[in-house]
Amino acid sequence: MLLTKTLASSTFKLALIAIGTFGVIASAIFGYVYLSTSAYVRSRSDRAITAEVASLRDTYDRSGRDGLIDVIRQRTADQTFAGHAYVLADPASTVLAANLEKWPPTAMASGWTEFRVPWASPGSTDPLVRGMVHTFASGDRLLVGRDISDLDRFTRQIKTAVISGASLVFVLAAVASILVTRRTVGRIEQINATSRAIMAHGLDKRIPLRGTHDEWDRVAENLNLMLERIEILMGEVKQVSDNLAHDLRTPLTRMRGRLEKAYHGKRFDEDAQALIGDTIADLDAVLRIFTSITRIAEIETQVRKQAFRTVNLVEIAREVVELYDAAAEENGNSLTMTGDGEVPAIGDRDLIFDAIANLVDNAIKHGRPGGRVVVASETMNGSPIVSIEDDGPGIPADQHEQVFKRFYRLEQSRYTPGNGLGLSLVAAVARLHGARIEMSAKAPGLLLKLWFPAPGPPQQ
Amino acid sequence: MTGSHRRILIVEDDPETAGQLVEQLTTSGYQVDLATCGSEALGRGAAGEYAIITIDRMLPDIDGIAVMRQLRCDGVAAPFLIISALGEVDDRVRGLRAGGDDYLVKPFSFIELLARLEALGRRSDTVAKETILRVGDLAIDLISRTASRRGKDIDLLPREFQLLEYLARNESRVVSRTMLLQHVWDLHFDPSTNIIDVYVGRVRRKVDDQQAYPLIHTVRGIGYCLRAPD
Repeated sequence: MLLTKTLASSTFKLALIAIGTFGVIASAIFGYVYLSTSAYVRSRSDRAITAEVASLRDTYDRSGRDGLIDVIRQRTADQTFAGHAYVLADPASTVLAANLEKWPPTAMASGWTEFRVPWASPGSTDPLVRGMVHTFASGDRLLVGRDISDLDRFTRQIKTAVISGASLVFVLAAVASILVTRRTVGRIEQINATSRAIMAHGLDKRIPLRGTHDEWDRVAENLNLMLERIEILMGEVKQVSDNLAHDLRTPLTRMRGRLEKAYHGKRFDEDAQALIGDTIADLDAVLRIFTSITRIAEIETQVRKQAFRTVNLVEIAREVVELYDAAAEENGNSLTMTGDGEVPAIGDRDLIFDAIANLVDNAIKHGRPGGRVVVASETMNGSPIVSIEDDGPGIPADQHEQVFKRFYRLEQSRYTPGNGLGLSLVAAVARLHGARIEMSAKAPGLLLKLWFPAPGPPQQ
Repeated sequence: MTGSHRRILIVEDDPETAGQLVEQLTTSGYQVDLATCGSEALGRGAAGEYAIITIDRMLPDIDGIAVMRQLRCDGVAAPFLIISALGEVDDRVRGLRAGGDDYLVKPFSFIELLARLEALGRRSDTVAKETILRVGDLAIDLISRTASRRGKDIDLLPREFQLLEYLARNESRVVSRTMLLQHVWDLHFDPSTNIIDVYVGRVRRKVDDQQAYPLIHTVRGIGYCLRAPD
């Protein structure tokens, strides 16, 4: 998991680019060193060979073939010329004088050549010889060379050193970058995990510090400070609304009590009593709005999460449909239910019921009079879903987000009963459950889907 | 009902709400004692024989739930009606219902409170063993889960039967919409629409249409009552 993230991280990609660039430059430098060393080594012996060929040509020109044979024999016998190779052959390739066993088969008529041919002296190894061939006007051919075995070994050593050095650099750089990236990714993953925990469970989580006082610890410290501020602010907001709720509730309870007392007091005539009754009804409407807001706020505190257990979405949806069946009938709508036998999800039955009830209520109220409303629930790709579809006028696409805001009402439904809090409650319930709301337009109508997270192993 | 069954202890810290409760409950025939804080409630509750104790969740000194728990430990058997503000209705409060207790969310209507008290008081002095409930010419067979009027079967869905059964069990008593939601649907919130009215409307058509007299009566502003004519 961490390795996959390491390999996919941008730090690692940067490191790879750096290793690549660095490696190409290092290889170029090493290659240059190798090539120039071997060229230098060869050019030194080449100069000496060229000079010797020139001097031996002079000898041939002056003293003829026999003179040259004498000189070659002298030289091959002389220890000072150890490592020098000489071969003089006639046009038929018969060796006339040499310290090599034979005329090297690869040697051309003239020019530079490299070959392996054993020394003429018995028991010797095959040296690597680099030599130059000169063909005289008579057709005799002279080869002068040097044993470059040592030089060759030297350049090969350089080559090995260069290649292994370059590979080592590559490997070390790769290992170093994986380690560095892993560390970085590990810290970022920690921050990510904390952020996810905060989104899922509330603001009381903090990013753990390592105590290394490095830049990551500082980032974590600052984020933690931010979280603390947010938590304090949220707490204050909640406290204010809690106090407001409590302080308003008490006078409202008294007010309602007095009105009720008057209503049942029989001291008034029928008209006055109707007025009082209407006032109580209005007061109740105010209280309901108030209750809805407090309820949404309560849901958003995530406290309800503690009571989550495995519920069957189909069963809840069916109960909602059953409850609203009479209302749909009264409206002339058809309300039907389809779905699997069991759709398990983790959640709070009351809240899910409330959310589905709100959506069904909306579909009946704002759908087409005499239209149809279909509630469905199934498990799709492991996710439990509930969907509500109607064939009414729908919601304009640009307002799909807006309708979940508190007190938001569409222009077309401004005068139908309702307070614009139903969908905010649905949104709050969805957030609490980690469910996703998907709204899509039908022709005609609206399809609203609630995607719940896949349930883990059964709780309790 | 005996005198002690009509004795009630109210624990409420807001003076005006407490005053209204005392006055209205007294008018309704209860003998009412009042405690204005947790410690007073503990003293009075342990000393007196009460049929019901209503308790405000938010008290100035001790939490209402703690008072209740303490009284239970002291051997007080009376059912409790917890009065709490919304948002305090957590699972602890909900769990109380199983023990024969009930809760009410503030602000509540007085008739609602009265309906709850009636239901709670009845629970402690009647043990229902009937298999058939009868209200007027309506017979509800609890074994076969069927209902009939004058021998003619009424075609009811399972939930509609439950609703009728609940109304019959509270014959001649007012049942609020919230009580129906809680006892018939096991829902602990108010869907804040007229949905219950529409639902009861349909049951009423099935039960009362083309009959000699209506059984299901609407009680304005609160709920319903199932009763036979006098």
